[in-house]
Parts: sequence; structure tokens; C-alpha cells
Amino acid sequence: MTEPAFLVLAAVTVIGSIMALEARDLVYGAVALGVAFLGMAGLFILLDASYVAAFQIAVYIGAVVILILFTVMLVGPAKGEAQMELKRVSLLAAVLVATLIGMGGALASAAAFPGSDVCGGSCDIQSLSRTLLIDYGTQLELLSLVLAAAVIGALTLAKAEKKT
Amino acid sequence: MEALTSFFGVSAILLGIGIYGLATKRSAIRILFAVELIYNAANLNIIAFARLRNPPIVTGQVIVLFSIALAAMEAAVGLAIIIVAFRLNNEIDLRKLTRLKG
Repeated sequence: MTEPAFLVLAAVTVIGSIMALEARDLVYGAVALGVAFLGMAGLFILLDASYVAAFQIAVYIGAVVILILFTVMLVGPAKGEAQMELKRVSLLAAVLVATLIGMGGALASAAAFPGSDVCGGSCDIQSLSRTLLIDYGTQLELLSLVLAAAVIGALTLAKAEKKT
Repeated sequence: MEALTSFFGVSAILLGIGIYGLATKRSAIRILFAVELIYNAANLNIIAFARLRNPPIVTGQVIVLFSIALAAMEAAVGLAIIIVAFRLNNEIDLRKLTRLKG
């Protein structure tokens, strides 16, 4: 699996996660975390888990990174570094383009070498949904209840202190 | 099939980066980043193991779906706690939030 798609996606994931921890501004850190999650979704696609990859993009990039960005806006100090703006934005754009190229390469290589390492019928979307909804249906409902409780708890926690 | 083990390398690197962030960072939001990175390392590990099995099984993907949902709610509650801590102390540097130390 030392194909170029894997190498590019692994590099994007690792560099994105390092940037998330080491970027000077928290906003750029959050965006780098999103890039790392995108690379991770590409790795999931390479592992024949495309539904998990879609779920990862929807939940992590669509919800968690946006939540983190709003929290950074509410909490973090606004450190204006205007002169570095263009260089950082262009670096960020380069990383994003590299991620997109990597994902395209992953899809292209999966289409170009059929039957080399394919998962077959045992990890397609039908068996996944059957396992998720029939074998683990109770756990799924419990998980949704826990999710609702956690979200209500988070709302209460963040709202109750405003009045005092 | 044993070439799939390179995914375990990526997972281990992510785990190392996450532990480094947990150990060295001071801002609560950075520590939340590190926790999310460790979650991702675990997810990648589970998916790679489920794929490595012969024949591959989908239970690993189901477990990872649950894990992603749990990580999302953990992030929501953690960020709410960070907001409350910031309102109470005007500070999210965890080395300085020592009010509960007693």
C-alpha cells in the first residue's frame, strides 16, 4: 500500500495534525484540524470504508470544526497579524489543494487497479446498513438518546452561567 | 495484505502527536484538538484491523460510526465547559485554572 495516494493522504493527515497543535493562531489551528480530518477521511476511503468517510466529513468538518471555530471566536483573544495573512492563506490553500488531489488520486487508483485488493461483498454499503440497523439497532437508538442528552446538557451548561 | 500495516504507522504517529499535545499544550482548546486526534488514531486503527481480517468484517465500521458520534458529543460538552470556564475566570490556560485544587 505504498502507493502515492496513501503517501499523500498520510502526509496531509500528519502535517495537518501537527499544524493544528503548533499553529500560532487558534483559528488556523482549527482549520488545520479540519484538513487533518479530511486526510483521515481519504484514508478511510482507501480502506474501503467510504460511508465512514462521508460520516467523518459530515460530523467532524461539518459540526466539530465549526463548533471549535465559534468557541475560538467567543473565547480566544483577537490577535491581528495582518501582514502574515496572505502567506498563511496561500499555504492553507496549497494544503487544501493537495488534499483534493490526494483524494482524486485515491479514487483514480481504486478504479485503475480493479481486483488487486478489493474488499468484495463483505464490506459494501448494504451489509454495513444491515449490521448497523438490525444487529446494532438498540445501540443506535441508545446512542441517539445519549447524543440528545449531551447536546441538551451542553446547552444548559453554556447558558446557565449567563444570568449570574 | 500485510501492506495494510502502514495504516497502523499513521495511527501510531497520530497517537504520538496527540499525546504530545496533551502533555505540552496549555490552552484548553488545543488540548481538545489533541483529544480529537487521539480519537481519530483509534478510529483508523479499528477500521484497519477490521479490514485486515480475512474475510473483512463491517462491525469495525459500525463501531467507528458510534465512536465518531461519541467524539462529536464529547467535543460539544467540552466546548461548553470551556465557555463556562472562560466566563468564570477569563482564562482558558489550564495551568492557571487551579481553583479546584483546594
